[in-house]
Amino acid sequence: MAATKRLQKELGDIRNSGLKSFRDIQVDDTNILTWQGLIVPDNPPYNKGAFKIEINFPAEYPFKPPKISFKTKIYHPNIDEKGQVCLPIISAENWKPATRTDQVIQALVALVNEPEPEHPLRADLAEEYLKDKKKFLKNAEEFTKKHSEKRPPE
Amino acid sequence: MQQLFFFGKHTISNTLNIYIKTSNGSTLSMNLNPQWDIKNVKEIVGPKLGLQPEELKIIFAGKELSDTVIIADCDLGQCSVLHAVKTKRPVKFDNSGVFSEELEDVGSKPLCETLKDLSNNEDLPDNNQQPKAHFYVYCATCKAMKQGKLRVRCHFCKSGAFTVHSDPQSWTDVLESKRITGQCENRPEECENILNNTEPTFADFYFKCAEHTSLGEDDEAVPLFLVRSNVRSIPCLACGDVCNPILVFPCLEGHVTCLECFNVYCSSRLRDRQFYQHAEYGYTLPCPTGCEHSYITEVHHFRLLSEPQYAQYQKFATEEYVLNAGGVLCPQPNCGMGIIPEGDCRKIACIGGCGFVFCRLCLQGYHIGPCDLPDPDNTDRKDCDYNVDPVRASQARWDEASKVTIKVSTKPCPKCKTPTERDGGCMHMVCTRSGCGFNWCWVCQTPWTRDCMGSHWFG
Repeated sequence: MAATKRLQKELGDIRNSGLKSFRDIQVDDTNILTWQGLIVPDNPPYNKGAFKIEINFPAEYPFKPPKISFKTKIYHPNIDEKGQVCLPIISAENWKPATRTDQVIQALVALVNEPEPEHPLRADLAEEYLKDKKKFLKNAEEFTKKHSEKRPPE
Repeated sequence: MQQLFFFGKHTISNTLNIYIKTSNGSTLSMNLNPQWDIKNVKEIVGPKLGLQPEELKIIFAGKELSDTVIIADCDLGQCSVLHAVKTKRPVKFDNSGVFSEELEDVGSKPLCETLKDLSNNEDLPDNNQQPKAHFYVYCATCKAMKQGKLRVRCHFCKSGAFTVHSDPQSWTDVLESKRITGQCENRPEECENILNNTEPTFADFYFKCAEHTSLGEDDEAVPLFLVRSNVRSIPCLACGDVCNPILVFPCLEGHVTCLECFNVYCSSRLRDRQFYQHAEYGYTLPCPTGCEHSYITEVHHFRLLSEPQYAQYQKFATEEYVLNAGGVLCPQPNCGMGIIPEGDCRKIACIGGCGFVFCRLCLQGYHIGPCDLPDPDNTDRKDCDYNVDPVRASQARWDEASKVTIKVSTKPCPKCKTPTERDGGCMHMVCTRSGCGFNWCWVCQTPWTRDCMGSHWFG
C-alpha cells in the first residue's frame, strides 16, 4: 500500500533527523496511519511547556492530506478548544502529494510560535492578541503552565 | 505448404510463422528460423517471385532490413508481416547517400534496434547514451497493459511496405500525423502524387501488443504513452520508491508516480467523483500535484484501474457527459439512464430505460402545475408557531423516507444545488461536484467569507 510504504520512510527520516521541536513520536505498530508526538515550541508564552498532538493520515495518503489535532489544551488564536487547527499546507485545496510530514510539522510549529490573528479560529483570543498583547501573553503563559505537558530534557 | 530450406550451420530451436506480403499482392506464409538473417529470407522468397535474391528488399516497421540483420533481433512476433518488394535501384548506394558500384549491403537495422527512448517534449536527447525504446499499450484482446511494438505504414495507402527517412525522436512524432516523411514502396507514384506533390509522403505510426499472436494487420493496441521505462531512476512522488515502469504526467515538470500509486490516486479521485470532464480529452485527471495543463489526454490510461473501477469510471464519465450536455439522469432507483431532452420540455420519459415519466425540474413523477419544491424553512431549525412540526410531519410519510434523510442531513451547494452532507471538519465547504468546486459556508449557506472564518469557522 502506497500510504504504508511512504509513511514508514517518512517516520524513519523524521526519527533520524532529530527534530528538536517535535519529539517523543509514538506510532502503534499495527497502525502507521496515526502518529502522536510532542510539539516543543521555542517562543514565549508557549516555551513553558510542550503540547501533545495527533496526526491522522487517510488511507489515500499522500493523495489526501493528513489531519492534525491537539491533545493538550492550548491558549492560541489558531487552535480551538477541541484541539482543531487550520493549517493551510494541509488544506484540501493546497495539499500536494509531494509535501512531507516534516514540512507539515515545521509549518505547525511555526504557527504555534507565531500566531496568525488575522485567520483566527478563536475570535476572542485573536482580539485579545491584537488589542492587549500583554494580557494575552500573561493569560497564555498561565494557561500553558497549568495545562501543558512537561518539556522533555534538551 | 512452404518447403523449408535447412542450412547445416543452423539448428532450428523454434520457428516463427511469418507472412510475407509481396509487391504483386500475394501473401506467403513461411516458417522462419529466428537465427536466420535477411539474406536467407531473400534466398527463399526470391525464387517464389521469380526474382534474384539481390533484387529484393525486405521491409519491416518502416525500415529496409539489411542482409546481415538476424530475424531474432527484429522484434517480430508470430504471424507478423514482412514486406518483400522489388528494388528499383540499378545502382546501390549506402546510407550516407554516397554512390558505390559494388553490391554492398544496403538497408539498415530494424527500427526496434535504432529507436531511442522517446521523451515527452521535443528536446533531442543526447543520442548515444539513450537506452532503447520500450512501449506500453492497452491491449483490448489481452484486456490489460502489455508491452507494445511500434509499427509503421504509409499515411496514404496504409501499406506496411514503407520506409521512413528518419526515426521518430519524440512522442509527438509518433502520435501526431505528418511528422515523419518516408517512401511508400507499395504504390510510390500514387502516394507521392496524392497531394499533387505539394507534400511529401508521410509515415503513420501505430502499435501492436507484444504479448499475443498477431491477429492480422488491423490488430492494433492503444499506446499508453505516459507509461515509461524508468531509465532515469526517478522516485515516485507518492511512495518514494524507484519503480519500473512508471507513469510520467504530461506537466512541464514531468511528475512521476509508480503504477501502484497511480492506481491509488485514480481510485481515490474516483470514489470522491473528482475526475474532470474535459471538453477535448474526456473524463480525466491532472497531475496529482495540480500542475497547470497536466490533464491526461489519452483516457485509456485509466484502463490501469481494476475492472469494477473502470466500469464505475465509465458510468461516472457518461453521467457527467450527459449532465454537461444539459441532460438529466433518470431518478428511478437502479435506472439512472442518461437522457438529453430536446428543447425545454419539462415532461421527460425514460425511453429505452425504465419508462418512468418525470418532471425535469423537480425529478419527481410528472405532474401538472408547479413543482412541490421543498420549503427551505422546513430544513432550517427555525422556531415556528404551528402545532405540527413540519419536519416530523414529512418524516411520517412512508415513501418519503429517503427524501427526508437527504433533506434533513444535507444542504444544497449554493451554486450547483447538489445535496451535500457534512461529515465532520470545519464549516468551510468546498463543493465536490466536479467542475463546481464552490467554496461555501455550511452555517450561512452563502459563499465562504472572512466573517465566517472569524465567527463560526469550526461552528
